Amino acid sequence: MATALPVRAQVPAAGQATKQHASWSPYDDNGGTVVAVAGDDYCIVAASTRMSTGYSILTRNKSKILRLNPKCVVASAGMQADMETLHKMLHSRHVTYQFNHRRPMSCPATAQLLSNTLYYKRFFPYYTFNLCAGLDDEGRGAVYTYDAIGSYERVGYGCQGSGKELIQPVLDNQLKAASPLVLPQQQWLSSLPLEQAVDLVKGAFVSAGERDIYTGDDVEILIITKDGIRTDSLQLKRD
Amino acid sequence: MAQAGGFSFDLCKRNEFLEARGMKGPGFTKTGTTIAGVIFKDGVVLGADTRSTAGTTVADKNCEKIHYIAPNIYCCGAGTAADTENVTGMVASQLELHRYATGTQSRVITAMTLLKSHLFRYQGHVSAALVLGGVDFRGPHLFTVYPHGSTDSLPFCTMGSGSLNAMAVFEAGYKDDMSKEEAMELVARAIRSGVMNDLGSGSNVDLCIISKEGVEYKRNHEYLQGKTYERQFPQRFAAGSVPVVRERVYDIRKAVTVVEGEPMEMES
Amino acid sequence: MFLTRSEYDRGVNTFSPEGRLFQVEYAIEAIKLGSTAIAVRTDEGVVMAVEKRVTSPLLEPSSIEKVAEIDDHIGVAMSGLTADARTLIDHGRVETQQHRFTYNEPMPLESLTQSLCDLALRFGEDEEGEVGMSRPFGVALLVAGWDAEGGPVLFHTDPSGTYVQYEAKAIGSGSEGAQTALQESYRKDMTLKEAEVLALSTLKQVMEEKVTATNVDIARVAPKWHLYSPTEVEEVIARL
Repeated sequence: MATALPVRAQVPAAGQATKQHASWSPYDDNGGTVVAVAGDDYCIVAASTRMSTGYSILTRNKSKILRLNPKCVVASAGMQADMETLHKMLHSRHVTYQFNHRRPMSCPATAQLLSNTLYYKRFFPYYTFNLCAGLDDEGRGAVYTYDAIGSYERVGYGCQGSGKELIQPVLDNQLKAASPLVLPQQQWLSSLPLEQAVDLVKGAFVSAGERDIYTGDDVEILIITKDGIRTDSLQLKRD
Repeated sequence: MAQAGGFSFDLCKRNEFLEARGMKGPGFTKTGTTIAGVIFKDGVVLGADTRSTAGTTVADKNCEKIHYIAPNIYCCGAGTAADTENVTGMVASQLELHRYATGTQSRVITAMTLLKSHLFRYQGHVSAALVLGGVDFRGPHLFTVYPHGSTDSLPFCTMGSGSLNAMAVFEAGYKDDMSKEEAMELVARAIRSGVMNDLGSGSNVDLCIISKEGVEYKRNHEYLQGKTYERQFPQRFAAGSVPVVRERVYDIRKAVTVVEGEPMEMES
Repeated sequence: MFLTRSEYDRGVNTFSPEGRLFQVEYAIEAIKLGSTAIAVRTDEGVVMAVEKRVTSPLLEPSSIEKVAEIDDHIGVAMSGLTADARTLIDHGRVETQQHRFTYNEPMPLESLTQSLCDLALRFGEDEEGEVGMSRPFGVALLVAGWDAEGGPVLFHTDPSGTYVQYEAKAIGSGSEGAQTALQESYRKDMTLKEAEVLALSTLKQVMEEKVTATNVDIARVAPKWHLYSPTEVEEVIARL
C-alpha cells in the first residue's frame, strides 16, 4: 500500500480552475471606413455611415466624424461606444481649451491631444481607429493617422477601418506616396486639384462598398478649406 | 479483430487541435447567403442571393447558389461553397446514373435521402445547408437539409445567414396554393430582405421555378443595384504608356509549309 | 486708523468694513521695497532689465537671480520677496511643459499668466490634504513672452492675483519714477535695440549705484528667451 500523503487543501493548478465568464469580451467591431486626403489648401474627410455588428446592420446612418472647429475634425472607425466616448472627451477638452486659451484648438494641437488621450488607455485601449484632419497653422491640408494606443504620424492622406486594406493601396497608387526614406525628402502632400481628389475618394468608397461588407449605405464627405467646412455626400449600395 | 467499415474523424480532430494551438487554416469561401423556397399551386419556387464571402470581404459578387440536381430537381446551397457545390454535384451524378439504370424520372426524396446520408456520415464536417426543391410524379416537394443530416419537409423554408430575414417575409406573406407569379414575388421579396439586411448576403436575386411543365431558371431575376457613382476623372492610360523594350517580327511563312489537301467526304 | 486695522489686518480671509483685504495690500506694499525691474515690449520682442542689489563686495553677483526663464518663449522679471517667486516660477515651468506635452505647441502667454495668478490667489483657500498658503505672495512679476499668434506680449501680475497687459512697465522701489520715465519715452515703433537702451537708462535713473555689468541683469524674449552675458550687458551700457 502506498504511503498516505498528508491531505492538503485542494488548490486547483493554474488553468484548471473552473472557468467563469471566459468568453466575455468588452469589445465589438461596428465596422466602417474613414478616409482623409490633404491638399495644398484643402482637406477632404470622408466616412461611411453604416454601423454593423456581425452580419447585422444596426443603422445605415451613423456619422463617424467629430467636427471640433472649422479647421479640425476627428474621424473614427471601430467600436461605436468607444468612438462616442472618445468624441465626447475630445469635444469637452476642446470647449475647455477655448475657455482657457481664447481660441479654437489647432489641428496639430488636437492631433497631439488625441494621441495622449489614446495612450492614457494604453492597457485597456479605446477600440477606435482614428484620423485627425483639417488645416494646419499655414493653411495647408493636414492628416494625422493613429493606431489604437496613440502612435501617430502626419501624412498626406490616410485611411482607417474595415475598408482600409481595399482603399489604402489605391490612395498609395494615385497620390504617389513618397517614402519618407527617399532622399532628397519628397513632398508628402498630394497636389491634386480638389475636384479630382473628391472624385478619387468617392471612387475608392464605391469600390470598397462593393467588396467590404461593413462599408455601405452612405458616405459623409467634408471638404475643409479656409472658407470653412463644406459637406458632400455619396450613396453606396445598401446590400 | 479490427472492425471493418465506419468513418475516421482523426483528421478533423487533428485540425481542431492544431487550430486551438494557433494554426491558421487556409480559409474557405463561405456563402453567407440567403436561400429560400416555397411550394405553390403547380410547383416549387427556389430563390437565392448571389454573394459569396471570404471573411468580411466579398469573394464573388454574382455567384450561383441554385444547383442542378436533376431535370426536375434543383437545390439551393448555403455554407462552405466547395461543400455545397460538390455535395450537389455528387448527388446529381448518382441520380443521372440511377435514371440510366431505371429509365424513370428522379424523385425528390431520393435526392434528399442521398444528401442526408452523405452529410450524416460526415457528422457535420461537410458544411452544406440546403434547400432542395423539385416536382416528381407525386407532385411538388420542398426540403431543407441541415449540415448534420437532418431534414424537414415544409411548404416554405429558408436557410443561411439571412434565413431569419427571409423567414420573416414568408411568415408574413405565405398563403397556400399561390399562383406562380405570387410565389415568385414572395420568394424574391424574401431573398431581397436577406440581401438588404444581412451582411452575409448581397447583390442579385436568382430564382428557379420548377413545375410539371418544366423548369424556368431565372438567373439574376432581380438585378438590385448598379454602381452608385461614375468617376468624373477616370484613370485612362494613353496609347504608348507601356514602353516597348524590344520588338521581333517572325515570318511564319518560312516556318510553316502549306500542303493542299483533298476535301474529305462527310456524308456517305 | 490704526485701531480699525488692528481688528482686520490679520486674517487673509476677512474684509475690513471698508471692503479691504489688508494682508493683500501689505503684500503689494512689500514689492515697493524690492529692487526695480523694468520690461519694455516692441514688435521685435520684449526686453527686461532688473537691478541687482549687491549689498556686499563679498557677495557673488551671479547668485542673485531676478529674471528667470519659464519656457523658451516666456521669461519673468520679479520684484519683492523673490523667494516667493520661486514657487510661481516652478509652477509656471510645470504648466508650460504640461501644455507642450498635451498640445505639442507653446503655451499662450495669457494662459500662463492666468495660471500664475490662480496660484497667487490660493492664499484664501484651505488646501485639502496639505498645508495651505499662510499669506499672499509678496512678489510682483513682469511676464514677458512671444505668442505663436500675436507675437510679443507683456503682462504684470501682483499679489492680489490681478494681471494687466502693458507696453512697458516698471515694478519695485523705483517703479514710480521709472514708470513716468517710460511713459515719456516709450514709442510703439521702437526697435529691440532702442528698447534695451530705454529699459536700461530708465533703470539707471532710479538706481542709487552706477550701472555695471554686475549689478543689472538684462534678458529678452525675441522670440526666444535669452539672458544677456556680462559682455552683452556692457555693450548695452556703452550705448546709453
